[in-house]
Amino acid sequence: MTRRSKHTSFDPDAFWADIQPGEVLLSARGITKQYPGGVLANDRIDFEVRAQEVHAVLGENGAGKTTLMNILFGLIQPDQGAIYLRGQRVHFRSPQDAIRYGIGMVHQHRKLVPAHSVIENILLGHPRAQGILRLREAEEEVAALAETYGFRVDLRAKVWQLTEGEKQVVEILKALYRGAHILIMDEPTSALTPVETEKLLESIERMSEHKLGVVPFITHKLPVVLRISHRVTVLRSGRVAASLDTQDADEQRLAELMVGRPVLFDVQKPPAQEGEPVVQVEGVSARSDKGNLALDNVSFTVRSGQILGVAGVAGNGQHELAEVLAGLRGVEQGRILLNGQEITRAPVLARWQQGVGYTPAERTEVGSIGEFTLVENVAMNYFWDPDYNRHGVLDEAKLRELTEQILEEFRVAAPGPHVKAKTLSGGNLQKVIMGRVLSRRPRLLIANLPAQGLDIGATEFVQQKLLEARAEGAAVIFISEDLDEILMLSDVVAPMYEGRVVDLIPADQADKETIGAMIAGSYQQQEGTP
Amino acid sequence: MLPFILRSLEAAMIFTFAGLGELVNQRGGILNVGLEGIMLFGATLGFVAAQTTESYLVGFLVGVLVGGLLGLLHGVFSISLGVDQVVSGMGIWIFSFGMTTYIGSPFTGPLGMERLPTVLGISPFFYVAVLLAVGIWFVLTKTSLGLAIRSVGETPDVAEVSGIHVARLRYLCVVVGGMLAGFAGALYALYYNPVWNYNFLMGWGFISLALVFFSMWNPFLLFGGALLFGLLWQLSLNPELLLPGLFSRYIWRMVPFAVTVLVLVFISTDWFRARWGATRPQALGQPYHRE
Repeated sequence: MTRRSKHTSFDPDAFWADIQPGEVLLSARGITKQYPGGVLANDRIDFEVRAQEVHAVLGENGAGKTTLMNILFGLIQPDQGAIYLRGQRVHFRSPQDAIRYGIGMVHQHRKLVPAHSVIENILLGHPRAQGILRLREAEEEVAALAETYGFRVDLRAKVWQLTEGEKQVVEILKALYRGAHILIMDEPTSALTPVETEKLLESIERMSEHKLGVVPFITHKLPVVLRISHRVTVLRSGRVAASLDTQDADEQRLAELMVGRPVLFDVQKPPAQEGEPVVQVEGVSARSDKGNLALDNVSFTVRSGQILGVAGVAGNGQHELAEVLAGLRGVEQGRILLNGQEITRAPVLARWQQGVGYTPAERTEVGSIGEFTLVENVAMNYFWDPDYNRHGVLDEAKLRELTEQILEEFRVAAPGPHVKAKTLSGGNLQKVIMGRVLSRRPRLLIANLPAQGLDIGATEFVQQKLLEARAEGAAVIFISEDLDEILMLSDVVAPMYEGRVVDLIPADQADKETIGAMIAGSYQQQEGTP
Repeated sequence: MLPFILRSLEAAMIFTFAGLGELVNQRGGILNVGLEGIMLFGATLGFVAAQTTESYLVGFLVGVLVGGLLGLLHGVFSISLGVDQVVSGMGIWIFSFGMTTYIGSPFTGPLGMERLPTVLGISPFFYVAVLLAVGIWFVLTKTSLGLAIRSVGETPDVAEVSGIHVARLRYLCVVVGGMLAGFAGALYALYYNPVWNYNFLMGWGFISLALVFFSMWNPFLLFGGALLFGLLWQLSLNPELLLPGLFSRYIWRMVPFAVTVLVLVFISTDWFRARWGATRPQALGQPYHRE
């Protein structure tokens, strides 16, 4: 097995025969990987997964999770250390090697061909798919496999028609059909609705009953880890911080292991000091880029000192709502008032000048210009401000001073104000964007997915800043796909489904189940939906 | 009337060969706008080779070979070097236009060989073109090779993770596409219009290119489009056979190009994009780099 020759002699069926419950299927010993530039991404990591076990790997961004995952899947090779399958040493020189040896990967960003059918996607690259495709035969086999694990998916449907949860099922089935015995799942619940998450967790439990080893890699969904895993390995700064049985763990303990310091879970939310209405949205409808109705007769009011939490699964109109409010998207019907004045058709700059602040979800595409320095990026919200612009000439010194203030106040880890924005990590970039918007003291803040993809520390910080804006009397429209976060920060919750605001619920009357049902379209008010 | 139809079928045959080659290219994600150039080369070198050796076989072989080589050249630029595919394709066309004019000029004039035989009044290659359309449709939709090609054209990174060698498959597509284009060119110069003169191809390659977009990458629709354009082309050459006395022949000569423009406008409309745009290979024209 240690030969670096061709692998034709490997017979997966024989290799994986007679798995005993609890047997160690995969073990990684002393995995070390150093990147050019000296970053020690993995430092002597030991890890193993047994049959019928869900062994979660937990860690913040930059803790070395991705590197370990890529090593286990053959995308990169470790500098030191070895991987053993059932005690035999193996070398993965590519993902193809890993797949052949029985490692399956369920990607966070789905690796599926949207235009092709489910069964075509499952067959793509399968060694048995040679010459003429036997679709019918394959369909029967995959259907039987799906039956065993309790998955339901239409094999003839095109992948682009599927929900995120269904796409994930396709990836799982694809891996299992390829003969995976160890299933690596990258952020398995990240794009799912609460209902889909529940289904996935049940499936993972069922899979683990079938002599598979399941290895979910998770950044911050601690409840998920506690719910499904049998063991959990926590990574911090490239090392194993701890490896423990899940029954001995709780959220607090795991978070501390991840971050290396105690973590406050409940961001302290002072009671609301609500004032005058700042923004009034009245019967607004708008279309998406594709031309279909993305916002359907949406109405709400947000007062000064109030956070409106817009909850929903991606693609239900939240994005268009943010753009309509920021002036980036035309309104088909209805009107928008800011401080009692109509701004429905006001241009973007006029809105900024009247106190609208917007932090887009796409930090690198819309929120910043990667090739520009931090000073120039901050200037994007100040170039028109007479304090920083004299007769068309920007006041460089003042802008640099402002940027330095923002970097300090928002604790941005950056070498200085003149580095390019693209060199910053996601969390630090988000802090710069929030900083430049909040430093304008906006009356209305539109925060689209402000904490998405950030690690625990940065998430906490961003949430704290939203609450500070609220305390200073801003009206905040906070868009998120994470219901826990919505419930923690909002004063009023606005669940969105298919372009409508299903209901406006005061936070003290909101519960996760009802809102989960509303954003999944299964609430009884939504009659006639499938 | 009958000769008119037979001639338009033969024109359709040439559009079909060239278009099918480009279709295979594009399903694999490579756009080759140099199709006209490859046809010019296949036609000119095929013509010269056939005339000097007095062998049609040599002429066709040379046409196919040079087509494959130019396809390979486009592959080196657009697959290995990651050059913008439009730039590479235009380069091939400009290069070919100049080179073939230079090479072909001394051979200006008729081929001067016995005509190739016909079957039921048209070239036997017409039937080959029909079979080829069916064959390519079959390979693309029913075989693992076709699935791999389509995946490479849609989402090459997904294909790569699934164990498909993206670059190798794309090379296969551009070479096959080039060979078919070279053959189409040779067929034009050795059979359809066996005379070499300046700019003899008159944009047939560009029409074939437009047909591929028009066909939504479906070989059967491509063949249908080829029939239509074959008819239009024939109408532009001999309108008096069908509609004597109507319009000047200069207006008729413009018709295929005007229709090409209309087709391109039509397929650019939102309506068309919404309905049919989904069939476009998503990675078409994008260089792919392994991570």
